[in-house]
Amino acid sequence: MIRIAAVGDVHLGADARGRMRPALENVGEHADVLLLAGDLTRHGTLDEAQVVAEEFADLPVPVVAVLGNHDHHDDKPVEVARLLSDSGLHVLEGDAVVFEVGGERIGVAGVKGFGGGFAGKCGSNFGEREMKAFVGHTIEIAETLRAVLASIEADVRVALTHYSPVPDTLRGEPPEIYPFLGSYLLGEAIDATGTDLAIHGHAHFGTEQGMTPGGVRVRNVAQPIIRSAYTVYHVEPMVRAAVAG
Amino acid sequence: MTSEPYLSAHLHRAIAEDPRTAEAGVRATVRGDHVLLSGDVACEQRRADLEAVVHEVAPDLHVVDDVRVVSVAEPEGSEELR
Repeated sequence: MIRIAAVGDVHLGADARGRMRPALENVGEHADVLLLAGDLTRHGTLDEAQVVAEEFADLPVPVVAVLGNHDHHDDKPVEVARLLSDSGLHVLEGDAVVFEVGGERIGVAGVKGFGGGFAGKCGSNFGEREMKAFVGHTIEIAETLRAVLASIEADVRVALTHYSPVPDTLRGEPPEIYPFLGSYLLGEAIDATGTDLAIHGHAHFGTEQGMTPGGVRVRNVAQPIIRSAYTVYHVEPMVRAAVAG
Repeated sequence: MTSEPYLSAHLHRAIAEDPRTAEAGVRATVRGDHVLLSGDVACEQRRADLEAVVHEVAPDLHVVDDVRVVSVAEPEGSEELR
């Protein structure tokens, strides 16, 4: 059994410095790995990223993160990711990490994701340049996620995104904004690759639990949803074998 | 006087786009002379910043602030995924 701690949308800045640290220092008692589902900062500045780095550095478990839309706002996502990586976090965008925990391997593939909407109610890669850029961005990310998930050799395979792969975990948000909260293309990539669990954030008014059309559990770990420093999932490696079999 | 739907839209954008707030996860609901703020923020200072931004956009509205500061406590229990 692998213990996965996760939280998203912590939106740290100088005014929230150190708030999470007491709970984080005990994360090793609860979990084997900590996943951060994007929106680590408010505006994506390097000053805010430094606060994030100090909050999540030197923890007793590996910390794996993706960036969110807020982390892109200052147009320095590469620099933000580098600062966090230099502090020991594993920042993923189209790549994966694998850790061994008690003889079992957990692999995490991470992308920010993007919007577009869900089956039958989504944007198309057609028309104005701006519209094609919007939908094309999601298509590209989803293809990357699929390839990275498929490449992982591990006992437990996790997809980590900021945007949602399913509408289930958006319940509570206005349906009109679902196309800005996620895309079925992410869910399709997850379903195609024998993934065990999908973790995302972004939807502060959504709900925690959902499932892809292919039966993969999805969890929205936005901090306003989970109402704690992080939440914890215990994942048995045989879950995927049971679903696949 | 700005009509209610436009005022709601202006408040929504201000809360999301003003650098003092940058909150996409806070709702502003206008009802007559009142505006209800709801959602979660990362610390107490951000509640005050929200009220300031809302007051600038809609100085005639009375602010009802239901925004909560999100808990950063350790989790109680865990979910078993089998």
